[in-house]
Parts: sequence; structure tokens; C-alpha cells
Amino acid sequence: MKTNIFKYTIALAGMLTVTSCADDFLEQKNTYQQGQDNFFGDDKAVAQAIYPLYSYVWFDFNDKFYYGMGDGRANNITAQYSDYIYPYTNFTETGLSVGLSEAWGALYSVVAQSNNALNNIRNFSMAEVTEQGKTQGIAEARFMRGLAYWYIGTLWGCGIIYEDTQDLVNGYVVPPCRQTDVIEFAIRDLEFAAKNLPATSPATGRVNKYAAYAMLSRFYLSMAGLTTSGRYDGSNIATEKNSGTRNEYYLDLARKAAAMVIDNGPYKLLDNYADLFAAATQNNNDESIFQLQFQAGADGGLAQSMTRFLAWSTAVNQGNSWGGSTYCSYDLWSEFKEYNDKTLGDNVVIDDAVRRHYSVASYGEEYPELSTDPENPYIYGVTESAGSQGANVKKYVIGTNAVNGFAVNNNSGINTYMMRLAEVYLNYVDAMIGNNTSTTDSKALSLFNALRRRANVPEKQSVGYEDLRHEFRVETAFEGTYWYFLVRRGYYRQQEVVNYVNNQNRNASYYESSTHTYKLSDSYTAPGPSVAVATAKNLTLPIADTDQTKNPLLKPDADGNIATVSYEFGEREVADADLF
Amino acid sequence: MNCTTNVFKTFGLAIILMLMPLLAMAQNVTVKGQVSDSEGPVIGATVKVKGASTGSVTDIDGNYSISVRPGATLTFSYLGLKTKEVKVGSQRVINVTLSADDQLLNEVVVVGYGTMRKSDLTGAVTQVDNKAIEKTVSTSIDQVLQGRAAGVQIQANTGTPGGSSTIRIRGTNSLNASSQPIFVIDGVIIDSDGSDNGNTNPLAAINPSDILTMDILKDASATAIYGSRASNGVIMITTKRGKSGEATITYDGYVGWQSMPKKLDVLNLRQYAQHYNDISDAKIKPASSTFISPELLGEGTDWQDELFSTAFMTNHSLSMTGGNDKTTFAISAGYLNQDGIALATGFKRQTLRGSIDSQLKKWLKGGISFSLSDSKQEMEKNWDIIMTALKSQPSVAVRNPSGGYDGPDDQWMPDNAVALAEIKTNYAKRLNFRINTYLEAELLKGLTFKTELSTDYNLNKTKTYQPDYEFGVRVSSQRDGAWYKNDTKYWSWRNILTYNGKIAEKHNLNVMAGQEMSQSYWENMSTKNSGYLSNLVTDLRGGETTGANVNIDGYQDGFKLFSYFGRALYNFDDRYLLTATLRCDGSNKFAEGHRYGWFPSAALAWRVSQENFLKDNKVINNLKLRLGWGATGNQNVQQWAYAAMLANYTTTWGVGVLNANNANQNLKWETTYSTNVGIDLSLFNSRIDLVVDWYYKKTNDLLMSIDLPAFLGSGGGSKYGAASNPWGNIGSLRNTGVEITLNTQNIVKKDFSWSSNVVFSLNRNKVVSLDSETGNLPQTLQIGSETAVVTNTVVGHPIGQFWGHKVIGRFNNPEDFYYKDANGNVKPVALPEGASIATSPTAGGVFIGDYIFEDRDGNGVIDNNDKTFIGNPEPKFTWGFGNTLSYKGFDLSFQFNGSYGNKVMNYGRRFLEITGSTANQLTTVLNYARIEKIDPNGPEDYRNYRVTNPSTMMPRLSTESGVNSNFRVSDAYVEDGSYIRLQNVALSYTLPRAWLKATFLSNVKVYCNVQNLFTITKYDGFDPEVGSLRGTALLNGVDYSRYPSPRIYTVGLNVQF
Repeated sequence: MKTNIFKYTIALAGMLTVTSCADDFLEQKNTYQQGQDNFFGDDKAVAQAIYPLYSYVWFDFNDKFYYGMGDGRANNITAQYSDYIYPYTNFTETGLSVGLSEAWGALYSVVAQSNNALNNIRNFSMAEVTEQGKTQGIAEARFMRGLAYWYIGTLWGCGIIYEDTQDLVNGYVVPPCRQTDVIEFAIRDLEFAAKNLPATSPATGRVNKYAAYAMLSRFYLSMAGLTTSGRYDGSNIATEKNSGTRNEYYLDLARKAAAMVIDNGPYKLLDNYADLFAAATQNNNDESIFQLQFQAGADGGLAQSMTRFLAWSTAVNQGNSWGGSTYCSYDLWSEFKEYNDKTLGDNVVIDDAVRRHYSVASYGEEYPELSTDPENPYIYGVTESAGSQGANVKKYVIGTNAVNGFAVNNNSGINTYMMRLAEVYLNYVDAMIGNNTSTTDSKALSLFNALRRRANVPEKQSVGYEDLRHEFRVETAFEGTYWYFLVRRGYYRQQEVVNYVNNQNRNASYYESSTHTYKLSDSYTAPGPSVAVATAKNLTLPIADTDQTKNPLLKPDADGNIATVSYEFGEREVADADLF
Repeated sequence: MNCTTNVFKTFGLAIILMLMPLLAMAQNVTVKGQVSDSEGPVIGATVKVKGASTGSVTDIDGNYSISVRPGATLTFSYLGLKTKEVKVGSQRVINVTLSADDQLLNEVVVVGYGTMRKSDLTGAVTQVDNKAIEKTVSTSIDQVLQGRAAGVQIQANTGTPGGSSTIRIRGTNSLNASSQPIFVIDGVIIDSDGSDNGNTNPLAAINPSDILTMDILKDASATAIYGSRASNGVIMITTKRGKSGEATITYDGYVGWQSMPKKLDVLNLRQYAQHYNDISDAKIKPASSTFISPELLGEGTDWQDELFSTAFMTNHSLSMTGGNDKTTFAISAGYLNQDGIALATGFKRQTLRGSIDSQLKKWLKGGISFSLSDSKQEMEKNWDIIMTALKSQPSVAVRNPSGGYDGPDDQWMPDNAVALAEIKTNYAKRLNFRINTYLEAELLKGLTFKTELSTDYNLNKTKTYQPDYEFGVRVSSQRDGAWYKNDTKYWSWRNILTYNGKIAEKHNLNVMAGQEMSQSYWENMSTKNSGYLSNLVTDLRGGETTGANVNIDGYQDGFKLFSYFGRALYNFDDRYLLTATLRCDGSNKFAEGHRYGWFPSAALAWRVSQENFLKDNKVINNLKLRLGWGATGNQNVQQWAYAAMLANYTTTWGVGVLNANNANQNLKWETTYSTNVGIDLSLFNSRIDLVVDWYYKKTNDLLMSIDLPAFLGSGGGSKYGAASNPWGNIGSLRNTGVEITLNTQNIVKKDFSWSSNVVFSLNRNKVVSLDSETGNLPQTLQIGSETAVVTNTVVGHPIGQFWGHKVIGRFNNPEDFYYKDANGNVKPVALPEGASIATSPTAGGVFIGDYIFEDRDGNGVIDNNDKTFIGNPEPKFTWGFGNTLSYKGFDLSFQFNGSYGNKVMNYGRRFLEITGSTANQLTTVLNYARIEKIDPNGPEDYRNYRVTNPSTMMPRLSTESGVNSNFRVSDAYVEDGSYIRLQNVALSYTLPRAWLKATFLSNVKVYCNVQNLFTITKYDGFDPEVGSLRGTALLNGVDYSRYPSPRIYTVGLNVQF
């Protein structure tokens, strides 16, 4: 009997000790990862949710597409053997082309994570977070989101607009919105940022309100070509693509936004063009308005990986250097070297030597900054043999670790320019030319000539479109912007732009190794090897193939058009009067 | 030899002395005799006096001696033999011969939280025993199951020693990363979870020779007792335990050689040089002066020969079992050392295992068992090193004249694969310790209470190191090293009450109720370092230890389950059987409100052969009909999937955060409802044994990481900064199929016997619904910088169908660019979106020699809408056919396996048949479409071109990014993956016992074995047996030139004394 009692006690104890506490047992605590509901305790935490939006999310855009599209497609670059560039140069890209789905994905990563950041700030900020801290965080996130949407709208001509990934997780088959709506969405984000960001950056490299105005000067110029007159209201879309005129309302806003940056912003042109791209002075200098903030020595998404695709040898870059066959195009080379400047008179041929030297490495050019011994500079073509087809790209190439002390394999450690003051100057000039053939406005001229003075080329007394185009191209070559300049021209002079890109001597070889001279190869015939003839369709890109499969509403119809819908905007949060 | 055996003897004796209490002795008469079976004396047979507790066991010669009262009855029993009873009369010597227990109906089958007589089974359970294991040379037990258990499909994911297999019980049940079953090893659940990357295999820690049986629970009525984790089936593994009797010591060892079963036919140097020149003539690449005279060149480097070689393996195991009728024990130790056929790969394992079971009191039993496994796996240095080798140019030497490694002179060519294999470090060390202890008390007659505690510890470490190198122009200037430590602990505590009894005559009842709580817990740490001072000192401290390249990460996490379960088995007169189970699981993988799940099941069986009308049937000795239904769950989701977490990101301003994942608060169990109908039939005294099962399974609320489109922020190529995809319950799918197992004893003679085993499995899978609006789930695969959709899962079709374009021809002649439609109108043939006919062969555009793709929607453009199903990776059926022939001491067995009707996407070939690539390619590229002008003086226009070798099917010279995308994912890469494989041939010879009489040995067997002897297949890749790439269910059958399974020859020796 005794044993029995003992036995039952064991059994009962075993069964009962554990049954009462199932729910307690199942509780557990996450000790390693912050969650959205326990992190946003103060303004510092809000700021921390913004930091990574300056680098990681842009990585895949920066890696190949920045120059592959911005310069490759605009024929600043010839890279016949590099499949991350030539589909764009050759107008043969498809939804599968290298770099395309990465860029599409990266820009939407910016959108999605900016949305997450601002929703987290809105919904999960604790009591200690100040209104000012919230507004700052939200405005910075909207700066990033708006910029990404501007790229999306400009590149693909439509886009899916959303403000929270959760809204679409269980139903992502939604139609894309019209191009004008995407640009309008971008403008509203940047207007919010312009109104709410502080005048001075909270830390080096972070954006302030003038950075938002600078972006707006660019965005307004896009909208000027896309609309007819007055503020965009969904109905005043310009349908005639060759009208030759732009919406004066947005031209005016573009001018005001640019002026705001120029007159009130903290930026100034660097004295030397060289300093813009020198290893020590490229990052966050006085002329820089917004740069992607990479970090020297880091790897992964914090690394400046672009340089390895431009650098032509391991003597001028640390580690992987795949840019040996990535050349300045012949077309751009000739604009640098022997531009026939009609504004300055008949047969005035300009060699833009300063900007050429720092943009393009050609035979005999000396670069002490690429050598450990400045007395014994790196001489392109002499120190190592020159590229077999043309001159290589110099911008963003800053030497090995032994030279600059911070470059590592796959990360040159420098930032990427997304906007600098020179572009704002040129945007001002573009707005001032407006619907006229040229401008002699004194302010426009002084800005324009400031850039030319720095480049040591003759000043001008009048600036027309061709002057602006040339200036824009040589000033910002290889900074991933020229294609967007052409596209916005295409909104109202479509045929002109199509003709222009079809007559650029694409894929031309132009180096004669026996004489070390650069001239168009005799065997060259237009449109160039493997180059297709561009049409108006080529002013936008196909949408990434995988997303077309997931969302069939992104598939084009037989004519190549994608059906779009209008976006339901709410009331404007920011009035013109708040801005100017 | 003598010395070692003495050690064994002494050691064994010591243990036996410690464990064996004295046997009771004091009765009237002593009866002696010998127990034997058809093969000779039986060692360790139990001799008992019926109705008394006294007994004896037979010795090494089968002799026994026991004192009994005259008139008592002696029972002679031995596992696998029919028990015999003899009444003691006046005789003092009783020799008995036990016959084999052919019916095996009283064979015990392991089911969840208990065992059951096979005859009582109502569910679908298949047993594979140690005899099958002995016939194969398996380093891991998953390899044993292949072709031996109906309804179980096993495909090796990699041939890397110690690598894992894709195991599917009754089809792919879940879209989620893991459709692997759970393994219950002596009661401890080993979750293979979602962590399978092809290299880690939890089963590799187990020495196959320690296994007694594997019971595969297939239908829900058998698995529902495991509730939330049982959807994919359960494999119960029982290890060997001691038997009473004199200790048996067994040594088993073999040596083996493994070789590459097949090579792919890639270009040699002459072919490569000629082809390179053709490519440069086509203006795709600049000309190379090296290749001016291809005919003068040699063979060049054969990178496959350089990377693969014949590899050696050796295995030793030693075990001791014994005990008395109160206490039994088993101890075993094993050592395996297997080199891989690919350079610098291999697997080493040491195991130690022990168990003791004891009747502590009349009413109390207890036991403890443990196992220890220590292994080291040398892994492939790059996951795609085989593709690297295949793509390496034959013009590049492995070593340069000065003895260093050579490399390509083109930045875009692959690295020297041999050099990478030799200089890089990538190994994993794993230590597994498992312990299980129980107490079982008999509270009343028939009512027992068992409490059992199990723990499973794993200490895993992976070390990688990459030195700086310079192979030709391929330069890597950094020295990077990393250590990853991943320690896990799992414990579970079970309390089980079992009642076993008769309620009334013919009414048998077995009721079990239990409760279990378990916790899985892990700690991960990773440290990366760089800036090593020397490549010789590669531990972390050898690096810079501070600075930007030092990366440290660590976290601890886990999940918990709290469960109740019960089972009732009712048996009426051994004719009608009813089993019902119910389990309730609470899991903290889900948010509150979604934590608890209920999993019921019920099954009926009718033993028709027990009915009077069949009872004494001469033909049918067993006939059972089974019907079962049940629900099981799947909780294999990432931790914290229901909440949005933040991930840390280092930035120039300090650490920042981004959303780490997209959350889903409403996440819940995936539930599978399954129905099973089965029939067991044995004929002619079990000479023919047939089991047929039909099943229907429907899985609802499929758990899946929803592959969001990129426009929802799922990321670009690198996915840096992207929030990971949310988990969701997204639809339902069903599996239905038939399984047949047929065991026959074709010839049973005194000296000669032949038995066969046929296993047939057929499964059909269909997606019933998907909640995503498009009703499809495309699966992408990223190779290098290219991301392409390779499979698609669409409602109404099986899951993971290959997806792509159809190649319907090639533009051989100018007129191929036009066709006549039904109305006789001439129309242009559809070209890819945005493409037009090129103005010359070197201009951008489609030209003569490019592929024609099918314009399925007839819109005149080849685009995304023209993709379709291009193959099903699921076989129409799989089968296994094994035979064992015995003649005197010789045993010959051979096992065929096969798969019929499955397709394989030869994804490696997609990158090895790029006609315009200057990386090395398969020789088939030499058949590229050659084009020439029709009129040599005519224009460059396509109308003046034609293909001169129209009988070939390769496109013209073009690259991956050519306008026509000839090398896009298409049916050109989908191949028939059917195969017949002679998986295993084993020949053994057991020395006659008479020869051993004079020695201390009781059994000696020598054997040899060939694994993977030949494969009959039409498949062009290395091996048609392709598992799931990266363990992803939706990448099943995608072969990116995986590490092929080697052919293995072994010779071994088994000694028992």
C-alpha cells in the first residue's frame, strides 16, 4: 500500500506540475533584435531609422545602373563587352538585362524602407519622441522616397505608388500609375521635405531643406515638359510630345527652387574642378548637395562598389578592376577634346582640358594623385598600356590603398554624387531659357560662366539649348545624370532627342595604338556594331521581367504600352506660399 | 590482433561481471540441451520455465542448462524465431530446433510514444530494419531508405561527403522551405527545420550500424500524435539495445574507393582555341594572338580531371551487447573517414553510444542511453566550384612553370578552381550529444506511467578562410577569415500514462494519455576578420581584430511547444481494430490567438483473415483492410515571423536600423488532412507479402515565405537593406497516390534461398488554391548577377513546374522570318519585345541562326506572356527492386532504384552552352548555327544569309545578353530525368560455424559492395538524381551541376564473438 501511494504521488506530480503554466511556458523574449514596437524611444532612435536610407537601399542602383543607364544609355560610355552597360547603349535591353531588375528593385527598396521608416515613426514613436524629431525623420524619409519615385517615373514612364508594403502584401496585382502621377508624388514628397527639413544638416552628409529645393529644381523641370499649364491636377497632361513648349508654371517653380538653393543654401562651387573627384575631397564637400554615404573599408551595402567597374587596372584601384573595356564614348571624347562651339563664333574648337583630364584618362595624361610617388606620376598609356579601343573613365577612380589609404577591394570608399551645386546652376539656366531659344539673363549667365571659368574655357554672353546640353554633359559626365537630362527634353521634343541618340557614333572604337591618337576608326559604320535604332519607346525601359510575371498588370500590350491608372492624391500638404 | 581481442575480452568481461547478478539456482532436476535453428546453434536464446520467473540463456554453442521441477513446461524463444514449448517429462536432454517466424505478425512496430504489434496497426507504417542497412555502405541512414520504403522519395542534394538528401514522404506537402519529415531518434525529435543548405545533414551524425529499425509513419492516423510537426511524415529511428545473455561483441569494418561516375564533355584546348577564333570573327570578342594556330595546340587543362579524383574511405565500428533478465546494456563505437571525390572535401566521424535498461523494482523499470558524435566535414570551397571548373578555360594551366597557381588572362573568366579548393578553408565541425532517460512504473495491472526526459546538444563550428591570391589577372588582395558557432540545445519532457487491458472477453483496450513540453534553443555567434599577417596563421586572432572589416554577430533564440496528446486503441477479438488519437500543441512561433492547434485522427482496421471463413485458409494467412483519417500540422516558420523586427546597419553616423522583415500578425499553422485506405495481404504462409495503400492529402493554409515582387521592396540583386519577405498562409494543395510493397520469398531451400522486394510509389500533386491574386508563385533563381524565373506554381497544376519559353525552331533561312496564318496572310514571325531583324550579323537585333520562340498569345511579340510550363520535376512513379540470394554462406543482394517521367532542368547547361561565351563550354557548342551569305557579293542583309548546318540545333554565336536571348530559360534545358540505377550490389560470405568452433569467434563475414554501379538515363548532366537546389521545395529538379554522387567500391569484414 505504501508503495502504491508513493507511485501515485510520482505520477500525479509529474502530470500536474507542468499543466498549469502552458501560457507562461510559451512566453519568450527576443533578446537580440529590436522590434518596431520597442525601439522608437527618443529622437536619436528616429534618426537611426533614417541613416541606412543613405546607402544600403541604394546599393544595387549605384553598383551598375548609375553609370550604365545615366551615362551608358546617353552614350557617354562605350563598353561593348560589358553586359551591364551595352544593352542600354545599344538600345537592346530587355526585362532581363543585367542591372535592370537590380535597379528596379533597389529604387523600390528605397521606397519600401522609407515607407517603413516613416510609418514606424508615425505609429510607434513613444512619448519621449518630440514632434520636431518626428517631422525631421519623416521629412528625410520622404526626401529619399521622392527621389526614388522621380527615378522610377523618369525611367519607366509609370510606377506603382504605395505608402505601406502591408497594404499590398496580400494583393500585389495592382495597376501602375501614370508617369505624371509618379512625378507629382515625388514632387509632393520633396516639397514636404523642403518645408520641414532644417536649414542646416543635422550631421555631415545628411540632407537639409536646400537639398530638397535642389531636387525640386530638377523635378519641376521634368514636370514642365509633361504638363501644359498651371499646377498639375491630373488633367493638364501634355499629350503632344513634340510641342516644343513647356509648362511656364513649373519653369517658374524650377527657377525659384534653384534660386533658393543658390541664394540661401550653404553650398558653393569648389575652386578646382579636380577637388570634386579627388580622394581626399570628394566626400561631402561644399559643392555636394546630396551624396550616397558609403564608408571606406566597409563591405556589403555600405561599400562604394561602382569604382571597380570603371577602374581600368589594379594599378589605379584597389582590388577588382573590371573597367578596362569601359571607355569614354567617342562622341563624348570629341565633345571634350574638339567641341566646335558655334556660340563662340565660327570654327571655334574648344579643348575642355581641365574637365577632360579629370573625367577621361587618355594617352599621356599624368596623374600624380594615382601614384605613391608624386614625382613619378601615373601616366596613362605609358605606365601601363592604354585601352585598345579608346580612353578610359577617370572619374571615381582614386587609386590603390597605398595611394589614398582607405580603398579596399570592392570598395573605393568614396561617396556617389546624386546632386551637386553645378547641376542646380544649370537647372536655373534651363528654367531661364524656358520656352525661348536662349537666355541672356545676367544671373543665368553668371552661373553658367562660373562653371566655365572654373573649367578654364571661354565665357558666353548668351546660352541656348545646345550650349546648355554641352555644358551639362561635360560638367557632369559619368555622374549618372546625362540620360535624365535628355529624357526630360524628350517630353516636349521627342523626335529631336530620338534623332540625337541615333546619331552619336555609338560603340565606335577610336584609338590608334601606333600613333597614340584618338580618332574615329575608319571601319566604323553607323549605327555601330550591335546597336539597334532607337525609337520613342527607347526613352523608357521595360519593367523587370520577374515583376511582370508576379504582377501581369505590368506587362505591356502588343503595342508595348502599359495600361496605367490615375493616383488619388489627397489635398496638397504644402502650398507654394510655404515654399517660396 | 590477439592483443586487441584480449583487451576486448577483458573489457567485455569486466562490464558483464558488473552488470550480471547471480542467477537463482535450486531445483529438482537439471535439464540440458542445445537450441538451434536452420543455420545451426542459436546463441542467446531464452529458455524459461513457464509460469515461473526462472530462466536461462544459451551459450556460445547454443547449449543451456536449467533446473526444473519435472512436469513443468519449458519455453524456448528467440527474436525472429517461433517460440516453442516442451513439457519436461523423464528426459534430461532436450534439444530443440526453432523455425523462423515467417508471419512476423507479432513483430513490434514503433509508433509515437509507444510500440504496437504490427497486427494491431491501423495506419500506414513501413519498417526498414538493420538487415537493409547492412546491405548498403551508407555513411548516413537517409541513403538506406532509398528505394526500400514505399512512398518515401529520397534524392541526394549533393555528393559532398556528409551532405544531405531531399526526403519526401508522400510527395511535397508544403511550399515552405522544408518539406522534410521529422526524425524521432529513440523518442527525441530531431527537426531538420529550414536550415538545410545542402551540406548540413542532422542524420549524418548517426552511425548507421547503430540502428535497429526505422519505422516510417506515413498517414495522419499514425503521425497525428506528433501534431504540429508531423505534416511531412515521421521517421522513427530505434537504436540497438542490449539483450540478455552472454555479451556479443561485434566488429565491422570496411575500406572503400569512390570514383567519379561521369565526366561532362567540355572543349579541349584545340577546340576552345578554334571556337574562340570563331567568336572573335563574329565580333563578339577581340581576337587573341594566342590562338592563331589552334591545330598546333595540345589538349590543354582538363579541369574535371584536376578537380576530381578517386577517393578513399574507411569505416570501423565495434559494438558490445549483453545483460541478464534484469539489466541489459549496449555499447558501440564507430569511426568513419571519407575523402570526397572533389579535391579537398571529406567527412570524418567518430561515434560512441551506450544504453542500459534495468528492472529496478518489480514495478519499476528505468534506463538511460546516450550517444556522442564528433564529425568534421570539409566542404566545397565555393558552392559552385564545379561550375567554376567546368567553365575554366583549357588554355589556363593549373600551375605555372614556377610552381605557383596559374590563372586566366581575362578578368571575366573563372578563378582557378583547383587553387581555390586547395588554398581556401571551409570546414564544419559538429559535436552532437544526445541523452535519454526514463522511468516506467506499473501502477496497477495494465496501467503504467512513464516519464521520460530527452536532451539533444549540438556544438557546431564552421571555419572559413580565404587567403590573398593572384591567379593570372584574377587578383584578390584581401585575407578574410570567419568562424561561425552555432550551438543548440533541445530538451523535452514527456509524461505518459498507458492502460493496456481486457475489459471483457474479446474487448481489448489500450489507452495512452500524455503531456509533453519541449524547448529548442540555439546560440549563434559569428566573427569575421581580415588583414591577416600571414596565410599560415588563420585563426581569428591572426587578423587585425579591430577595424572596419571585423564583423561580429551573435544571438540566442528558440521555440517552445507545449502539448497534450492521447491515443485509444480498441481491439475486438483481434478482428476489428479502432485507433483514435488527439493532440493539442501550443507553439510560440505564432502570435497569441494563433498559438494552439488541435490535431485529431481516427483509423479502422478489419482483420479479415481472423474471421471464421478465412481463419484456416491455406492460401491467405493474413488479410487486413485499413481506413484512416487525420489532421497534422506544420509550424516550420522563421522565428518572430509574426512581428516586424528591426535589423542593425552600420552607417557613417553610427548604427542605424531598417525593418528586417515584413510582418504577418495573422500567421497560423499549416494543416494537412489526409485519408488513407490500405490493404495488407500475406499468402502461402507469408511467402508473398503485399501491402497496398492509397492516400489523399490536402494541405490548407500553406505556410510560405511570400516571394514579394521587387516593387514591394523585396530587393534588387544584392538585397542589401531590403526587408525580408513575410510569411503567410497562402493556399492549399493536395497529394494523392498509391504505394505498393511486395515482399516475396521466391525460393526457400535448405541451402539456397531467394527473396525479392519491390517497392512502387506514385504521387500526384496539385495546387488547389493560392491566395495571391495572380494565382501563381514564380520562383526565381539568381546565378551571378542574373535573376530568372525558373519554376512557377499555378493553381490546378503540380507545384514548382519548370517555367519558361518554348523553342520551336531556328531562323535557318530568310523566309523563316515570315509565316502564313490560317487565312493565308503572310505575317512576320514574332520577335522578342523591342527587337527587330538586325541589319547585319554584327548589328544589334535578331538574325539568321537565332532561336524562334513560341508566340503563345499570338500577339506577334515574344514577351513574358509567352512563358509556359516546360516540364514537371515530379516523377510519374518511382520504384525500387531488391533481391537477396543466399547459398550456404554466400549472400548476394542487389538493389535497383528508378524514377520514371520526371524532368530535370539542366541549369548548369544553360551556362555551358552559350555559343558566344569565351568561358569554357560543352563541346555541343561547336554545333552552333553557322551562317553564310547566299550571294557572297550580296548585301549584309538577312535576306542574303542562311544557316549552312541546318540539321544542328544550337543557335548562332551569341552571348547571354544577345538581343534574341537565345539562352533564356526555355525548354531547351529541360531534359528527361528518368533513370534506372543499380544502386547497390553486395556480396558476402559467412564462414561456416564449424570452422569457427576451435576459435573464440562466433561469426565471421567478409563482404564487398559496389554502390551506384551504373545508371541508365538520357540525362546529359552528371547525375539525374537531383534534389532541391538550396533545399528550396520550389527549386526541385533544378540541377546547377551539383556535386555528383560517387561510385563506391568497398571491401569489409564483420566479426562476432
